[in-house]
Amino acid sequence: MTSIMFSLLIVPLVSALLIFIIPSARKEIFRPIGIAFSIITLTQCVYLLFGDYAKTEFTILSTFEWIQSYGLNLSFGLSGMSTLLLLLSSLLVFVSLLSIGKDHAESKGFVGSLLMLHFAINGVFISGDLISLFIFFEALLIPMYFLMGIWGGENRRYATIKFILYTVFGSVFIFIGTVYTAVISYGVNGRLAVDFETLSSLSLLGSQSKSLFLLFTFGFLIKVPIFPLHTWLPDAHVEAPTAGSIMLAGILLKVGAYGILRVSIPFFTEGFLAYKNLIAVLSVIGIIYGAIVAIAQIDIKKLIAYSSVSHMGFVMLGISAGGFLSIEGAIIQMINHGITAGALFMLVGFIYERRHTRNISDFGGVKIKMPRYAAIFLFTSFASIGLPGLNGFVGEFMILMGSYNSYKVLTSFAAFGVVLAAIYMLWAYQRMFTGPIKYEENESLSDLNSRETASIAPLVLLMLFIGIYPNYIESFVIQEASFLSDTIAIFRDLK
Amino acid sequence: MTTVSEILGINYIVIAPTLALLLTVIVLLFCTITISTPMYVKKYVSFAGILLTLFTIFLKFGLFLTDGVSSYFSEKILLDEFALVGNVIIGMVLLFTFNSFWKTSEMIENKTTEALILVLMSASGFLLMIDAENFIMLFIGLEIGSISLYALAGLNRGDQLSNEASLKYFLLGSLASCIFVYGIALIYVSLSIIGVYEISFAISIIGPENVPLTTFVGLILIIVGLLFKVAAAPFQAWAPDVYQGSPTGYVGYMATVAKAASFIVLARLVAVSLTFIIDQFDLFFSAVVIMSVLAGALFAANQSDLKRLIAYSGVIQSGFILSGISSGVYGISASTFYLITYIIQLIGIFTVFSIISGQLSSDFQISNISGLFKENKFITITFSIFMLGLAGLPLTSGFVSKFILITNLWSYERYILVTVLMLSTVAGFYFYLRPIWVAAVEKTENVVEKIQLKNSDKLLLGIMAALTIYFGLLPNSLVNITRWMVEGYL
Repeated sequence: MTSIMFSLLIVPLVSALLIFIIPSARKEIFRPIGIAFSIITLTQCVYLLFGDYAKTEFTILSTFEWIQSYGLNLSFGLSGMSTLLLLLSSLLVFVSLLSIGKDHAESKGFVGSLLMLHFAINGVFISGDLISLFIFFEALLIPMYFLMGIWGGENRRYATIKFILYTVFGSVFIFIGTVYTAVISYGVNGRLAVDFETLSSLSLLGSQSKSLFLLFTFGFLIKVPIFPLHTWLPDAHVEAPTAGSIMLAGILLKVGAYGILRVSIPFFTEGFLAYKNLIAVLSVIGIIYGAIVAIAQIDIKKLIAYSSVSHMGFVMLGISAGGFLSIEGAIIQMINHGITAGALFMLVGFIYERRHTRNISDFGGVKIKMPRYAAIFLFTSFASIGLPGLNGFVGEFMILMGSYNSYKVLTSFAAFGVVLAAIYMLWAYQRMFTGPIKYEENESLSDLNSRETASIAPLVLLMLFIGIYPNYIESFVIQEASFLSDTIAIFRDLK
Repeated sequence: MTTVSEILGINYIVIAPTLALLLTVIVLLFCTITISTPMYVKKYVSFAGILLTLFTIFLKFGLFLTDGVSSYFSEKILLDEFALVGNVIIGMVLLFTFNSFWKTSEMIENKTTEALILVLMSASGFLLMIDAENFIMLFIGLEIGSISLYALAGLNRGDQLSNEASLKYFLLGSLASCIFVYGIALIYVSLSIIGVYEISFAISIIGPENVPLTTFVGLILIIVGLLFKVAAAPFQAWAPDVYQGSPTGYVGYMATVAKAASFIVLARLVAVSLTFIIDQFDLFFSAVVIMSVLAGALFAANQSDLKRLIAYSGVIQSGFILSGISSGVYGISASTFYLITYIIQLIGIFTVFSIISGQLSSDFQISNISGLFKENKFITITFSIFMLGLAGLPLTSGFVSKFILITNLWSYERYILVTVLMLSTVAGFYFYLRPIWVAAVEKTENVVEKIQLKNSDKLLLGIMAALTIYFGLLPNSLVNITRWMVEGYL
C-alpha cells in the first residue's frame, strides 16, 4: 500500500516533468501522455479502494526524518475519506484532460500544470502531518496561478491575484497554527512533532484548543468557501479555463472541508464545540445567499459558481452539526458535489467552445440542435438539485436529517436551499435549452462529439450509481464518520 | 619554550583568506602598472585568487579543530564558529558572483583591473570584519569593505544614476561609519575596553544592572552602524538608489557580501557581548524589525524598477533575519539559515538581471522582462524559482527558512513580531508574483530576444535554482550546520 500511495505522488510529477521535457513541436502527444499517466493513477486509486486502508480512519503508513535537530518528520498515510478524494481527483484530472479543447490540449504548459496540480492535490490527501499538509496546500497555488493567469478570461489578472491573496491570507493562519502546535508539541514530547498520531495524543484543551481551532479553521474556511469569505470564488470560476474550473470546484473546494475534518475537528474538538454554532449559522446563510444570488446571475458559469457556495454550505452545515449521520452526509456530499459541479463546468465549457459566450440570454432552444447535450445537462442539473435516485439527493438528505436534531430552525431554512436550487438550475435550463431558437448563431451548433461524450460519461454514470446504490460509497466513510462523531460526543459529554 | 610570536598569538593561517585576496590584488596591480596584460590572464589570476581564498578558509577549519575558539594577534583576531561560517559565506559569494562581476569588469574596458581589485579588496575587508575580535579591527575591516563598494557603485561613470548611487552610498555610508566609531568611543570611555568578549566579561563583573548608560548608547550606535549596512529600516534610504544605479553585474555581489558580513558580526555581538543585557535591547530590535518589514512591504508594492523592488524586498528580509538574531541563540541559528538561503536566491536573481539587462545598465524596469518566457524559458523558470523562494512558497528554501524562523520566534513568545512578519509575507505574494506575471503569464506583443546563454551562466543559474529547491526539500544538512554554529553559546 505504501508504494502505491507514493506512486500517486510520483506518477503525476514524472508525467508533468516528461511533458515539460518533450519539445513543443510534438504538440499532438501531450494529451495522450497526460491521459495515459492519469489512467495509471486512476487504476492505482481503484486498487486502493480494495486495499486495507480504504475503510479505516487515518493511518500513518510512512514517516521520513526531515529536519533532525528540530525533530521534524514528514508523515504520509491513508484513510477512507482520503481514498475517495484521491479517486475523485484522479477521475477529474482524467476527464478534464479528455474534455479540454484542442488549443489547450496542445499546450505543453496547460497539460503540465494540470498534472502538477494533480500532484499537489494527491499530496494534500495523503499528508500525515501538518507540515506536509501545509506544503502541498500551498503548492496547489503555483499550477492554479499559471492555469488561471495564462489561459483565463478577460479579467484574469484581477481574479488570479484575488484568488492567490485570499488563499495565502488564509494559509498564513494555518501556518501560524502549525507553528503554535509544533511549539506545544515541543513542550510535551521534546521535539517539534506535528504528525497526526502525536497530535491526537496531545489532547489539547481549553484556550489552546479554541485558538488553534480558530487559526486552522479560518484558513480552511476561506478555501471552502464559507459565506462572508466566498467572494474570490465567483471571480476565479468565471476567469478560469474550463479544466481549471473543474479542478477548482471539484477538488480544491474539498481541500478546505477535508482540512477541517482531518485537522480542526479531531485535534481541537473543544474549539469546535465552542464555535460550531457560528459555523452552522454562516453555512446556512451561505446556502440561502448562494442560491438566491445564483438565481439572479446572467452568466451560467457564475451561476454554477454561486451554486457551489450553496452546496458547500450544506457540507459545512453537516460538519458543524457533528452527528454521525451528518458528518457521513458531509463527506458523501463533498464527493457528490465534486462530481456534479465538475460535470456542470465541463458542460459549460463545451458550449463556450462553440459559442464563445456564457450569457444565458444568448442561448435559447439549444435542445433542438444539441439533444444529447441538453439531455446530459438536464440530468446533471437534476443531480445537482438533489433529485431522489441521483447522487445529490443522498448527501443532502443525510445532512438535513443528521443536522435536524442539533439545529432544528437552521436545518429548516437550509432545506429551502434545495427548493431554490431547483429554481435556479431549472430556470436556467429553461432559458437556455427550451423554446424556439432565438439567435441565428445558435442554428449552427453541433452536438457533443464522441470525445466529449466519453469525457462526461464517467461522471454521469457515477451520479446514477451513487444515487441508486449509496451503500457502496457509504461503506468507505462509516468508520471515519463514526470516529469523528464519537470524538465530538466524548468532548460534549466531558463538558 | 614559548616564542614571542606565540605569546602575541601570531598565526598567519587565521588571516590567510584576507592575505590570499590581498596577494591576488597585488598581482593584479602589477599587471596594470608594468605590462599590458591580456584579459584572460586577469581572469585566471582573479579566479585563482578566489580558489586560493577558499582553500585557506578550509585550512582555518583545520586550525579550529586543534585550537577551538581562540584569539590571535594579541586578541585582535578571533577564530570561532561565526568566523568560519562567515568566511565560507563570503568565499562562496565571491565564487558564485565571479561570473557576473567578471563580465561587468570586462565591459568597462580601461578599468577592468580596478574593478576586480575593488571587488577583491572589499571581500578581504569583510573577511577581516568577520574575523575581528577587537572593535577597531572590526571598523578597519568594515571601512576597507565599504569604501571599495562605494567606488564599485560609481564605476560606470558615464551613467548619471551610477554617479548618484555612488555619492549617496558614500555620504550615507560615511555617516554610518561615524556613528559606528562614535559608538566604539563611547564604549571605550565607559568601560575602557573595545573587545567582543571583553564586554561580556566586564558586564558579568560589574553586574548587568550596573552597566553605565554610556555603554548602552555606545552599543546601540555600533548596532546602528551595522544595521545601516544591511539596509534595515529606518536606515534603508540608500539601498534602492544604490541597487538601481550601480552596474547590474556588481549589485548581486554588493548586496550579499555586506549583508552577510554585517549579520554575522551582529549575530556574534548578540550571542557573545550582549548575552547578559540582551533583554534591554528588545524594544530597539523589535522596533527596527517592525519598521523594516512594514516599510519594505509598503514601498515594494508600487515599484516599477525591478532592482528597486529587490532592494525593498531586501529591507523586508533584513527585518526577518534581524528578528531571529535578536530573539535568542536558536533564533540566531534560524536566522543564519535564512541568511544563507536568501543569499542564494539573491545571487540567482542578480545573475538573471545582469544577463538580461546587459552588465552595465542601471535601468531595469519591470516592463523590460515583459514576454521574457517566449524565447528564454530557462532564465524565466529559474527567475520564477528565485522569486517564489523570496516569497516563501513551499518546496523552496524560502518556506523552510520562514518556518524555522517563525517557529523559533513563537517559542520565544514574540507574538507581535510573528504577526507583523506574516502580514508582510501575504503582501509579499503580491509583489513577488508580479514580475513572474509580467515575464511569463501576461499575454503581450513584446518579445525579449533570445539571449545566448554561456555555459557558465547556465551552470550558475542551475546551481542556484537547484540549491533553492534542495534546501526547500531536504534542509537537514544546512540546519545542522547553523545549529553547530551556535551550540557553544547556549
